[in-house]
Amino acid sequence: MTDMTRRNFGLLAGASLATLSTPLFAPTAFGQAKPKVVVIGGGPGGGTVARYLAKDSGGAIDVTLIEQQKTFTTCFFSNLYVGGFRDYKSITHNYDKVKKAGVKVVHAMATAIDRDKKQVVVGKQRIPYDRLVVAPGIDLKFDSVPGYSEAAASIMPHAWKPGPQTQLLVKKLNALKDGDTIVMIAPPNPFRCPPGPYERVSMFAHVLKKKGHKKSKIIVIDPKPAFSKQAVFMEGWEKHYPGMIEWQDPKMHGGIKGVDPKTGVVKTDFAEYKAALCNVIPAQMAGKIARDANLANQTGWCEIHPESMKSKVDPNIFVLGDASIAGDMPKSAFSANSQAKVAAMVIRSELTQSRAFPARYSNTCWSLIAPDDDIKVGGNFEPGDGKIKAAPGFVSQKGESADIRKQNYKESVDWYNGIVADIFG
Amino acid sequence: MTRRVVRGAALAAAAAFFASAELRAADLELGRYLATECMTCHGTASATSTIPNIFGLGEGHFVEVIRAYRVKALPNPIMQSIAERLTDEDIAALAAYFQTAKK
Repeated sequence: MTDMTRRNFGLLAGASLATLSTPLFAPTAFGQAKPKVVVIGGGPGGGTVARYLAKDSGGAIDVTLIEQQKTFTTCFFSNLYVGGFRDYKSITHNYDKVKKAGVKVVHAMATAIDRDKKQVVVGKQRIPYDRLVVAPGIDLKFDSVPGYSEAAASIMPHAWKPGPQTQLLVKKLNALKDGDTIVMIAPPNPFRCPPGPYERVSMFAHVLKKKGHKKSKIIVIDPKPAFSKQAVFMEGWEKHYPGMIEWQDPKMHGGIKGVDPKTGVVKTDFAEYKAALCNVIPAQMAGKIARDANLANQTGWCEIHPESMKSKVDPNIFVLGDASIAGDMPKSAFSANSQAKVAAMVIRSELTQSRAFPARYSNTCWSLIAPDDDIKVGGNFEPGDGKIKAAPGFVSQKGESADIRKQNYKESVDWYNGIVADIFG
Repeated sequence: MTRRVVRGAALAAAAAFFASAELRAADLELGRYLATECMTCHGTASATSTIPNIFGLGEGHFVEVIRAYRVKALPNPIMQSIAERLTDEDIAALAAYFQTAKK
């Protein structure tokens, strides 16, 4: 008992000492300039890291977020807008609360990164940084599909960056007549939101079914032999939309020959389709500003240290979200949000001597197949084998009860509210 | 005999005191860091949402629930997965953090 008592008092004393020596809000010495963090990109990665840095440093770090757009429409849940489950406004958010958290928000385009001078170039202005977070999301490789181009996207929308493209896709979808054909060209790996194309196909089918279409078809030309949550998606398609969706792997189509935006014709090695709506989701790469600053390798994506999300080519720069090579983590908003918290913790420890902890990441992706039929995949990730490594995760199973799937949907709606508040305040 | 009972009760009370003292010594800073993971889903949870509100939850209850997820005695693969990598120290830190944390 006496021993135990001593141990416990020791523990308590140790704890209070630790608290005294490492306050949560590390104060900056009087007269000393605050360390500066600049964040490029106000999406799930950038918004989260900016808010957490401002909030958790208690004003000890000067945080500037550079984002061109005044409002941000989330790519996640944009499929639910396509399916008519959400309106556009409900997936669009502003930066008012990010500003309230103490972040300086600059609505302008970051044009370049001067890594030698540690400055971000915004038009004629230069914004200095001690640490820079680059979270620009993706750029599309339009020429990865023969015949496709940025201009062609006004006829054959990709809608893989949220905004007017998503609205155009919905407009074209709603104008379809019974008997029309939708062709989706799915993207090669790696790409933003692995289950996204297949959730979108589900939403296309839901809209056509709701409109009473009996003869319309959806053809998916996929450059991959398999896709995320494939077994449960395909079971769901058969259950809710029998005969409507035809998914073709490379063995079935033989290769994508090209698209003709003028005629709507899509050619594969084995067939030709006349698409009333063609949704081309091309190959992808890290956003231009990251590539221009030589943060990306030959794959077009940016290598990071798995313990910190720090760039492998510049110790003052962190790369978050879709633009990064995050090992086993998928390119998702959930991943970017999770990575942002690790980066914020590391940056604070470097700039204000706050405590550092081992990096832990997690991800879950929900996908809606039909009303109240929602599936999920996810798990934990940690640094290991020189990358961000997945621990055994979970995935929805075939034949699950309607109750579980309905619960998943409700959970996804709550998650959406939670994560947008975590990103945008 | 009576004296022994009284002494036993005093020992039990002391043990309970030190058990709670250990909880009070939970690593709040660790809890605060680990809690950032919870915020993604639980940050806006309310009494009526499917994802429960965990702010202000009693420490004991919090520990009990997370341990139950860890041994898969409670359903939901997401929470099972999250609980799986939490040590007892992590859970105590989170419980202490959420008991007093404000949204």
